Amino acid sequence: MQSTLLLTLLLPTSAVPVIYLTGRKSAKTAAILVALIALVDIALLSTTIPVVLDAAEHEYVESYYWIPVLGSSFTLFVDGISLSMAIITLMLILTAALFSVNYMQEKKGLAEYYALLTVLFIGLVGVFITSNLMLFYFCWELMLVPAYFIIGGWGYKEPYRAAFKFFIFTHAGAVFVLLGIGAIFMVTGNLDMFEAQKALMTAQPDLVKWILLSLTAGFAVKMAVVPVHMWLPDAHSEAPAPMSALLSGVIIGAGAYAILRVSLGTVFPAVAVMATDFGNQFLHGLAVFGVISAFFGSLIALVENDIKRVIAYSSIAHMGYVLFGLSLFPFQEIMTGTVLHPEAMAGTVLHLVNHAVSKGLLFLSAGAVMKQLEIRDIREMGGLAGQMPVTATASTTAALSIAGVPPFACFISEFLIFVGAFQTIHNDNFYLLPTALMLVATVLSLAYALRYIRHIFLGPMKLEKAKEVPFFMKCAMIILVVFVIVLGIWPTFFLDLINTVSFV
Amino acid sequence: MIEILDVSLPIISFVLFSLLTIPVVKAIRKRKSKTTVLTLGWFSTVFITAAVTVANLTIKYYEQPSPQPFLNITLASEPLAMFSSTFMIDAISIYMAIIFTVVGAVTFLYSIFYINLSERPSERYYSVMLIIIGCIIGVAFSGDLLTLFIFWEASAAGSSFLMLYQKTPRSLHATLKYLVMIIIASAFIVYGLSIVYGITGTLNFWAVKQALTALEDKHLLVTAFIFIAAGYAIEAAVVPFHMWLPDAYTAAPASSSAFLSALIDQGSYYVLLRVLIYILTPPTVLEWTVMLAVFSALTMIVGNLLALAQNNVKRLIANVCIADVGYNLVAITSVTPLGIMGNLFFFLIGGITTALSFMAVGILNRMGFETLDDFSGIGRKMPFTSLALLLGAFSFAGVPPLAGFIAKYLVFTAAIEANLSWLAVIGVLTSIIQAAYLLRLINYMYAKTPRKETKIKEPKKLLVPIFILVAAIIVLGIYPTIVLNLIEPVIQQLPFIP
Repeated sequence: MQSTLLLTLLLPTSAVPVIYLTGRKSAKTAAILVALIALVDIALLSTTIPVVLDAAEHEYVESYYWIPVLGSSFTLFVDGISLSMAIITLMLILTAALFSVNYMQEKKGLAEYYALLTVLFIGLVGVFITSNLMLFYFCWELMLVPAYFIIGGWGYKEPYRAAFKFFIFTHAGAVFVLLGIGAIFMVTGNLDMFEAQKALMTAQPDLVKWILLSLTAGFAVKMAVVPVHMWLPDAHSEAPAPMSALLSGVIIGAGAYAILRVSLGTVFPAVAVMATDFGNQFLHGLAVFGVISAFFGSLIALVENDIKRVIAYSSIAHMGYVLFGLSLFPFQEIMTGTVLHPEAMAGTVLHLVNHAVSKGLLFLSAGAVMKQLEIRDIREMGGLAGQMPVTATASTTAALSIAGVPPFACFISEFLIFVGAFQTIHNDNFYLLPTALMLVATVLSLAYALRYIRHIFLGPMKLEKAKEVPFFMKCAMIILVVFVIVLGIWPTFFLDLINTVSFV
Repeated sequence: MIEILDVSLPIISFVLFSLLTIPVVKAIRKRKSKTTVLTLGWFSTVFITAAVTVANLTIKYYEQPSPQPFLNITLASEPLAMFSSTFMIDAISIYMAIIFTVVGAVTFLYSIFYINLSERPSERYYSVMLIIIGCIIGVAFSGDLLTLFIFWEASAAGSSFLMLYQKTPRSLHATLKYLVMIIIASAFIVYGLSIVYGITGTLNFWAVKQALTALEDKHLLVTAFIFIAAGYAIEAAVVPFHMWLPDAYTAAPASSSAFLSALIDQGSYYVLLRVLIYILTPPTVLEWTVMLAVFSALTMIVGNLLALAQNNVKRLIANVCIADVGYNLVAITSVTPLGIMGNLFFFLIGGITTALSFMAVGILNRMGFETLDDFSGIGRKMPFTSLALLLGAFSFAGVPPLAGFIAKYLVFTAAIEANLSWLAVIGVLTSIIQAAYLLRLINYMYAKTPRKETKIKEPKKLLVPIFILVAAIIVLGIYPTIVLNLIEPVIQQLPFIP
């Protein structure tokens, strides 16, 4: 088809009013409609898989007239990485919508909820399937507004407080991204990521350094890297469970994707060539922040007692792994022009995918527990495995995956990251210490995962009234359980897609 | 050669219709039935006529300006020739005229419903509004500093009537403050202009520019510049001359605030732009960019910090206007084609957004909601008005896909291009503050529970102009090419900028 990608965005856009109107009559129908649209979008995107796998340039591009004065055309583009991210995002939206049918049942204003979810959907998918920085920024901010209202409108305790924090932090990050994008346009006169990459090669090195720092700092806020993580624990734990799943699964993943695609993919090559020392230090800096985030998140997750905050802090830890993976960007290869070891990057992107599925599942199952028990302190829970077998299975699968236990999804990607790290040590012995520390951090993640499962599902039964969750919630969790296991045993599908992309 | 009729028709038609409005509205008021239809009919005649005259100008002169873009109207013979008046047409003046007519029409539509027709002096209110639109178009078409001054002072002074309309003690006080500031400003400007005339022997834009470029001793010019810039800065409410604006816009009826922020504010930026960039071009005549950059930074910081401390929503929006002045100055300061483009886009979008916010706040003020506390839970009680205010706030904050984002993007990029990265960083940081207080407003509107959980009927007629503007910010946000293409010829006609 000629305009597959445009259709992928137009479909949810045109569906927003329909979903709102349907939602006023029957919330369930609206939810199923959102899920269906996600499914159709997956099908649409799947039609581009053969192109991406086979074509010589390994990408699929559509371009439309938009704002020529600003060097922007409405360019939609997929390659292996963006396709993987977009598909997994759609999967999570699908399950989040299904999960919401029962989870949100008693809440008011569901028509608005599903309409906002669809707007979020446009933004999330759009971020992954464009190569124009202006359009990218549009979608980037489009995630923010509906997320703000969903957290605020349907969250727990003081939701608007958490939502406010979320909005201000990520918006503050976004304006620095904007500054970077503006500077790129100013230097290159173009906003296409790939054109800009070439044009930046001849720019003034000092300016390019600042662009790199400004963009990375902005994206790091969305990615919730320590020390700009403060919004995450509140937003993730106060949001309704389907929204937490999306936030933790893909929204922070989008931050990592943006660092990979824009900071490292577009700007970094110019820095690496013109200011080699600085480029090296920059990557080392990423590694350091990655290690700090991983330890900080894991340690707090180990002592936190609120069911969702444990998971929220584990997200920070996992973004630490991802950031560490990103710091293994094939720097030497850019200089020499040869591809030596693609494992680190493939592992990092695969970890984004796997983490999205696992963390999504973990948040959904935590939501299921909270919904049935109406408490959130894990010390008051216990022995739920007998009463809620499906939820228990789902939680355990997800928690073990998060801990990096084979045969679940996250194991294989963490493994790949470490393989890449050891190969990099060969060239650059700075990575010795960070890699060793990251290995220690995985032990910590196993510790908090086991603690989580033991407190909630094992041990003596403390609550009599607990019952298994209703049909749609089960459905959503089972879909993701299957995904976590399949991705763990057979990661080849995504790995093949990701490996089509070369960073050099 | 520009035909005299082409240029003067838009101005004349507004002024003429404004005079006719008084008897016509009086006649309409006497009738018992169909008053609304008749009023709308009359005013649409006015605006359609004006639009036709502007369209005529656009078609004739927009793409290809005539080689001699001046029109001299000599009012006196040779010894008193300096009392002659010059008009000029170039792309930028036509662009401004289009904006003034279109935005003027929408804000006027709001005033028709907001100011009660049966009130005694309402016909004067309408007629003053029309005269001001005429004068501000005259400002855009002026070709010499004196003509510019006369038209500009006429519209600035006329606006005091719009502020005064309700005749409350507060509005009297605010108007007095405004008038005093305006008079001081015009004294400054006249003084500066007389020095310029003394140096160059002319007030015609082109002639002044040429004379100044050849000028060797610039001491006097610096004095003149300080007076002129200070004068126009007072009228544009640049910090530290901003004190009149929050009072005036808060005390004025909402329709006036919307009208003034959309037209007079934009007019004042235009004047600054015209005088500074077209005549006192920085690289060739006077190096004023750093000074202006400092003021621009100051305006952004102070405007946003003041807004952060506001509890009255209308006052908050008025302070956003001040911050907007700062963002406009960033673009003016950068003196690059991109900056001018951003500037002209910001004129339009800033005007539309402030106008629509004032309009929405006006509806809410009518219901007795003034402070942030009163606004608690308004989102559920008055969904449409709140939605408009919400979108306006997000557009201010620069959240895509609303038009405010593209405007801010252009402005900041221009600053980077002009080697004023520090200014861009300040702009970005202040716009985080802006997002914070606007989000605070949204928080009150949607997060807090209202004191009384009753639905309030929203005035549908007043919502029509508001949603026209809302549609405009959404459409221009997603597809700004419509306006950017309109601005292109302006950029082409900037031979002054290296």
